[in-house]
Amino acid sequence: MVEADDSGSDRRRLIGLIAGGVATLLIIVLLVVGLAASGGTTAIDDALVSGQRPPAPDITLPVLVSGPGLPPAGQRVSLSSLKGTPVVLNLWASWCGPCRDEAPIFETAWERYRGKGALVLGLDLQDLSGNALEFLRENGITYPSLRDGTDASKRDLEATGVPETYIIDKRGRIALHITGQVTELRQLTVPLDQVLAEK
Amino acid sequence: MRRSLAVVLLIFALAAAVTPALGVTSQEIYRETRCPTCNTPLDISNSPAALDIKEFIAVRVAKGQSEDQILDALVAEFGREVLATPPKSGFDLVAWIVPILLVVVGLGAIPFVTRAWARKRAGDAPAPEISPEDAALLEDELRKHPG
Repeated sequence: MVEADDSGSDRRRLIGLIAGGVATLLIIVLLVVGLAASGGTTAIDDALVSGQRPPAPDITLPVLVSGPGLPPAGQRVSLSSLKGTPVVLNLWASWCGPCRDEAPIFETAWERYRGKGALVLGLDLQDLSGNALEFLRENGITYPSLRDGTDASKRDLEATGVPETYIIDKRGRIALHITGQVTELRQLTVPLDQVLAEK
Repeated sequence: MRRSLAVVLLIFALAAAVTPALGVTSQEIYRETRCPTCNTPLDISNSPAALDIKEFIAVRVAKGQSEDQILDALVAEFGREVLATPPKSGFDLVAWIVPILLVVVGLGAIPFVTRAWARKRAGDAPAPEISPEDAALLEDELRKHPG
């Protein structure tokens, strides 16, 4: 009888241990998944450093200001639909001082390259749309822009903030990632000439 | 005369202090939202994006818009992530129900756990064995004091 009680107690202890172990494992998995989802990955930069061109994430966003090859403002467009056209994708926000400083350089690049088949495309992030449109008007920006009020596309592009810029080649691959403010036009023209020359 | 004026002013000051604000205040909505760039509640954030959103809210409060109207406008701009607390509808209801459910389950489990512990403790301490002499002594004593 005592032996039966002991074996029952052992079984209960074993079940308790297994349940505790599973619960602990579950918490660890949730923490790892949460940390992974919170960003901080550098797969794009790692690939670029090793000489590869990673595919640009296929983000789909509404158009803030339309331009050649884009649907009207308010409609959604995906980056993958722009394959065949080299794209200078500039992440900006109206509340960002360096974005204001670099905007004229992107405007000059747009004026110079729009006739050559390249697209300068802004991506307004975590911004009020009214403020964003006012920013474009105030700075005389004529190149088109997409808009993302959330941080989803920033996460997909593995960007750390604004401003950041990506040069995407004709095959939809990221050829260059510029973190921070663009201060000289040649930072854009040199890689753009290269990707335009490629087949 | 001066004293009565002071009393009247004091009454007005107290009345102003206890009169609730009419409609929603900007501060109330700041607490309901969070800064999209720094993920902190809007009322404690001073990032450039947060300042823009505070102005957006203050302008709408001044226009007499309701809390729901302003929060809807913010969600349209930034998505649901801008809300400090998830909405109490649809799938987001899970975020409200699960913690309550866990507390209820935890409270419900207390009697079972304590009973199991008590049983275990009782089982851990076996009754001490009595020698035949002690047993006879005990019998004698019990016989001397019946009832």
